[in-house]
Amino acid sequence: MHAFIAALGFGIVTAAILAIASVGFTLQFGATNIFNLAFGSTMTASAFVAYVATEANLGLWGAVVFGALFGTVFSVLLNRAVYLPFVKRGARLFEMIIVAIAVTLLISNIIQAVWGASFFTLKLAPTPALNFGALAFTRDELGIIGVAVAAMLCVHALLHHTRLGQAMRATATNPALARNCGIPTTRVIDVVWAVSGLLCGLGGVALVLVTTSFNPQTGTEFIIPILAVAVLGGIGQPYGAMLGAVVIGLMTQLSALVISPEYKQAVAFVTLVVVLLLRPQGILSEVAEQKEVVA
Amino acid sequence: MSQAVQFYLSTLLAYIGVDFIACWALNLQFGVAGILSFCFIIFQAAGAYTAAVLTLGPETPTSFQQYFGGAHLPFPLPVLAAAVVGALLALVVGLITLRRLRRDYQAIVMLVVSLIATLVATNATGLVNGANGLSLVPKPLSKGLGLSPYGTTYQWIFALVVCGIALVCYAVVHRITSSPYGRVLRALRDNEQAAVAVGKNPLALRLGIYAVGGALGAVSGALLVEAISAWSPSSWLYPETFSYFAAVIIGGSGNDLGVAIGALLVPVGFLEAVRFMPTIGGPQFLGALEWIAVGLLLLVFLWFRPRGIVPERRRKYPAS
Repeated sequence: MHAFIAALGFGIVTAAILAIASVGFTLQFGATNIFNLAFGSTMTASAFVAYVATEANLGLWGAVVFGALFGTVFSVLLNRAVYLPFVKRGARLFEMIIVAIAVTLLISNIIQAVWGASFFTLKLAPTPALNFGALAFTRDELGIIGVAVAAMLCVHALLHHTRLGQAMRATATNPALARNCGIPTTRVIDVVWAVSGLLCGLGGVALVLVTTSFNPQTGTEFIIPILAVAVLGGIGQPYGAMLGAVVIGLMTQLSALVISPEYKQAVAFVTLVVVLLLRPQGILSEVAEQKEVVA
Repeated sequence: MSQAVQFYLSTLLAYIGVDFIACWALNLQFGVAGILSFCFIIFQAAGAYTAAVLTLGPETPTSFQQYFGGAHLPFPLPVLAAAVVGALLALVVGLITLRRLRRDYQAIVMLVVSLIATLVATNATGLVNGANGLSLVPKPLSKGLGLSPYGTTYQWIFALVVCGIALVCYAVVHRITSSPYGRVLRALRDNEQAAVAVGKNPLALRLGIYAVGGALGAVSGALLVEAISAWSPSSWLYPETFSYFAAVIIGGSGNDLGVAIGALLVPVGFLEAVRFMPTIGGPQFLGALEWIAVGLLLLVFLWFRPRGIVPERRRKYPAS
């Protein structure tokens, strides 16, 4: 029973981190159809910016602010400097995925070249654990869960209660029509990348905040559970991603109770493969879409 | 030439043969058939394990490594068995992935297959000795020829055997790409709807070439393990696939000659360049630089010369 409660606690935290990152990923993929595999490496890069911030004694807030800021700026620049030019030139889906792989190799290995392949820890004072019945969370973990919930609410409000959100949904559904209706799609796409990058940065900092140590590969490997969540929820569907995050987060941690912990990651892997093969449109959506990349 | 130089050159020659075969195999899958085979490296790994296990002999209670299905087979047989295993593995992976799935989704599924394979091979120790991998694989042919496996004569003979096998593989690849089958595959790659409209079955056609690619990839792995005597999961992590992708794209995907040039530049060239570089920075600094170079080269070529150094030949067929 104790093991179950502990796993449940980890599961909730994992779900929160996954939710932050996956909503960002799915928002961007749904709007642009670019498979940004470099999302995970961008998370790592944000985490290392947070690491530098803590080394400079800027504390937790410094780490969060600089990590999130880096994620935002970097994502917009990545799109403008690399993806967008290729899309404008008429690169097709499968070429874009090779471009994304090349970018991933670049980011994760630049981090490795700069910081080396060793393990790092954020220089922060340990926070006391708070008990909720049998569940115990540290203050950081509670903060992450809070940020996840807040981010979900903000994304909902953005998409459904602002003109910008309306423009984003219009661009995601039919970019050509949106452009003809006078929506500045390029600027809207910039905003999409910025929001996605902000969540990516937050996710990256959250990821290394709860792990005891991290290395230059940490976030790169995290892309697979993110993909699993995004695909499970249906690409481009923030609510699906939230639901998917809870499912994958809990399943990953609880699975360690029944199977060998080394195979914990396999839960996300297998879910991803099975969903892609059986319901590539995700569990929530009705129709499978056939789209080309959008800039 | 001194012994050391001879040793080095003969090993290099064997590596070149191995990388040529691997790149031609990937070129069949990616260059000719347009499949984003992001799990290519598992075919090489499967071939290497098969050949290693079939050369090592049966596992004994006292042996320090665990594996299953060991046997002592004379030289060409482990390589042939590896080809069969590679083809079967490709058929299984292909049957799962090559259905009507968006091509980028196919690529993701294959990438994940590669990750799952590493996870299983690393953690299931009884299968192929887990993370430690297999080592002390006996050198093939040395007993039959009565030569010491550490002498330069043996080294040269083995390197020439590898190159001979590479030539045979080239003949197979060339025969396929210049046949009507290769033509149909290119048609499928360039315009699937048109190919389907004239009655071609994309799944069956792609599965076929995927299996051939898998078999050749496995042969490359088998020869590699016979040459270096050891194999472990850290040699076939998923990024390795992209060094072969880089070779194919840079050389000129779809062109057998171009792909060979790509193989000389990326897998062979990088490996050797790093060997001659002074050790700078911390551990794995050079390795990181190598991957940065691969990523940059991919982007630069996709932007400036997407068809590679030697582009695929424009084929013209007389109207019938």
